[in-house]
Amino acid sequence: MNTTLFLQQLINGVSLGMVYAIFALGYTLVFSILGIINFSHSAVFTLGAYFTYAFMGLSWGFNGLLARQSLPLELPFVLAMLAGGVVAGLVAVVIERAAFKPLRQRGADPLLTLVSSLGIAVALVNLIQFLVGAEAYSYPSARVLGPLGLPPALNLSTPEAPLIIPTVRVVIIFASLIILALLVLLINATKVGKAMRAVAEDGTTASLLGINTDRIILFTFFLSGLIGGVAGTLVGLSVTITGPYLGISFGLKGLAVIVLGGLGNIPGAVLGGLVIGIAETFAPSSLKDAVAFVILFLILLARPQGLLGKAVVQKV
Amino acid sequence: MSAMLSVQNLTRTFGGLVAVNDVSFCVEEGEIFGLIGPNGAGKTTLFNLVTGLTPVTSGRQFYRDTETTRMKPHQIAALGIARTFQNIRLFGSLSALDNVMIAQHLHTRAGVFDGVLSTPRARSEERHVYDYSMTLLEKVNLASRAHQEARSFPYGDQRRLEIARALALQPKLLLLDEPGAGMNPNEKAELSDFIRHVHEEFDLTIVLIEHNVPMVMGLCDRIAVLNFGVLIALGTPSAVQNDPAVIEAYLGD
Amino acid sequence: MEGFITTYGFLMVTMTLQAMLALSLYLPLMAGQLSLASPGFYALGGFVAAVMSKSVFGFTNQQVFPLPLVFVEMAVAAAICAVVAILIGVPALRLRGIYLALATIAFVEVVRVVALNLEITGQAIGIFGVPQPFSRSFDYMALTLPMLLLAIFFVYRLERSRVGRAFSALREDELAAAAMGINPTRYKVLAFVMGAVLAGIVGVVNAHLLNTWNTRQGTFDVAILVLAYVIIGGSRTFLGPVAGGLLLTALPEVLRAAAGIQGLPAPVAQFLQDGRLIIFGVLIAVGTLFFPQGLITPRMFRRWRAAHPQPAAARRKEAQA
Repeated sequence: MNTTLFLQQLINGVSLGMVYAIFALGYTLVFSILGIINFSHSAVFTLGAYFTYAFMGLSWGFNGLLARQSLPLELPFVLAMLAGGVVAGLVAVVIERAAFKPLRQRGADPLLTLVSSLGIAVALVNLIQFLVGAEAYSYPSARVLGPLGLPPALNLSTPEAPLIIPTVRVVIIFASLIILALLVLLINATKVGKAMRAVAEDGTTASLLGINTDRIILFTFFLSGLIGGVAGTLVGLSVTITGPYLGISFGLKGLAVIVLGGLGNIPGAVLGGLVIGIAETFAPSSLKDAVAFVILFLILLARPQGLLGKAVVQKV
Repeated sequence: MSAMLSVQNLTRTFGGLVAVNDVSFCVEEGEIFGLIGPNGAGKTTLFNLVTGLTPVTSGRQFYRDTETTRMKPHQIAALGIARTFQNIRLFGSLSALDNVMIAQHLHTRAGVFDGVLSTPRARSEERHVYDYSMTLLEKVNLASRAHQEARSFPYGDQRRLEIARALALQPKLLLLDEPGAGMNPNEKAELSDFIRHVHEEFDLTIVLIEHNVPMVMGLCDRIAVLNFGVLIALGTPSAVQNDPAVIEAYLGD
Repeated sequence: MEGFITTYGFLMVTMTLQAMLALSLYLPLMAGQLSLASPGFYALGGFVAAVMSKSVFGFTNQQVFPLPLVFVEMAVAAAICAVVAILIGVPALRLRGIYLALATIAFVEVVRVVALNLEITGQAIGIFGVPQPFSRSFDYMALTLPMLLLAIFFVYRLERSRVGRAFSALREDELAAAAMGINPTRYKVLAFVMGAVLAGIVGVVNAHLLNTWNTRQGTFDVAILVLAYVIIGGSRTFLGPVAGGLLLTALPEVLRAAAGIQGLPAPVAQFLQDGRLIIFGVLIAVGTLFFPQGLITPRMFRRWRAAHPQPAAARRKEAQA
């Protein structure tokens, strides 16, 4: 493999890995607070991509209840993405209230919550299909890059080695880094972030210390939905919105990412995302989808707690 | 002839904490052997090492002539060592009867197809297991509630059920981890009688962790005292009682 | 009746197969192991049937496939699945809870991608024209209903045997079970292998029933669906997964049929038709709320038994007295 191809692939890999990481962070946030895997996250992710499309004022295809309709507003891409993320976050809040809270109040088995969140995911995915059909949608790249003053491709060539990179890849990497930085800042430097960490450490103690656990959980769901929705948009930007099932296949990889990195561990999610993203990019395309899981399987056998997870000592 | 159980320079560390520190002693066949010490002295850890639930950091341990240092819990159980747990680990949502029947696993052979086809072998085994389990439950006065969920039992009954379950393994060596915890003096006296009784009847060697000093003194042939993971005294109850190191450990700060 | 059988024959056979698939997930769960590997073995079984019937036995789509050969395929699929299950299970069953679930999902995905790349499994297109032993879908009932009853009988008896008790002990408390002399690895792998074999056999039948087999069978979605069967049906007794498999497989079709009821307002009918999977998803979510133990719980039986004392139990009581 020559240097040009290597660099190109590396940037593709990092870009893919960052999106995996951002998506997986949504799982991790909820997991670290509630100790459950929220399957509906993958549907919220998909919703985010669709909401952004809607907020850009683009019109739907020929199928579904909303065929050929569009919103009477035309937000620029960045604003539409943020608005889409916020709405996705609100959807996550509704899901927490409707599906998670009732089960939590009864002290239900985490497995039950997992199945419930799965039911929500199935309902949401099919709701999307019912409303706007199963076809693929994509954001017109002129409307994405134009207002940012960016060309469709960046020419980083040197006389010895030609290197042309699609701008969206770089945009995705930067956007992901910004999200990651904001998230780390939020968790480590703000009051609500400290409260989140306290609840993650021990919900009962946190509530005894006067932290409103319920509000923190709600906020965590919002945050998880927000970054999930933005991640959905970034994936839509990178490979088009392939249909209502976009998030399901992605969701599975997201799970592999957080388990690989260590459940509930933020640096672990980023590391897991990068490992899987880069490995997939360099793998032969026919084996691409298996790479994540082969890595996951092997890592779990060597380190059952994931790359950066803490080993759990069983109490006798 | 070698001792029933011997541990040699046994050590276990958790991170920086030395839970069991270079402990050596032997338990002779037929003894009731007491293990006492303040909270956190490493008594339960020692039980976990002996039964293989916690891997040994260094040192060796033997059951009769068999080295058990690296053995898995089920292999150690198969040698004839049974135990109860300080924090009661019954199979909570199963019936009392099932709890005791499960513990006869090692004394039965029926495989998947024996069980599914209910072969004569499986049927006769099941009958024996059932009868023996009911006998054991009668000994601990729980036969009339054999079909109730184990977790629905009052605390004291759960302790006794756990002993019945351990006896179902038909062990030679029985390890009891604070069997009298949470009992009042009357119940403890009854428990002492019961332990003496099973010791006779089942021809057992018993190692017992207990906080209640009078109970241990009355029951045990020999006593080992642990403090901060170190064995500080070993001997007959009266010798241990007057040992200055023991008095220091219990009365000092 | 004839019309009903033509319309719903396929569905009824599928219901029995899905109930068995639910049992294949329930088997490792009996030993406390949340494995989602069933669809992987199910896919494997389907490929064994498709490849054997076409390439080994040389039958074409036009010929009637002899039933005894289906049993041969089942035996081969069972053997292959058992070997693979041991190879996967021995290392993977050291993992706990969600980690094991994910590792088994990894297996399902790897099976899918391998099949996508192999010539013999027909790559992305799959294998068409798998010969059929029966001419009508409904006739498969003659095979699948006895299979389901047999599987139920197997699990029922297993739960009441020495091995079943070892499984329950592991499910309740692995460490305590080990201290009682039960070899955790051995029994966990045994439960895993039994589930794998059952899933493989279901795959064999389904490949014939569907007339085709490809990598879209036995995916992650199936794993999740089967998990829903078990959780919604009830995971503490073998009847739970069976009920869950039967009901949840029928549900979308029931909704579709409901859409055809005369006199429904058009938008309602259309929603029942096109939005039935939305309703399906909502029902799963709502089901967990109203039936946290699943539809069928052991307590129901205890209550039933208390109300109807069985002769066997009564005899035993007399013997004690």
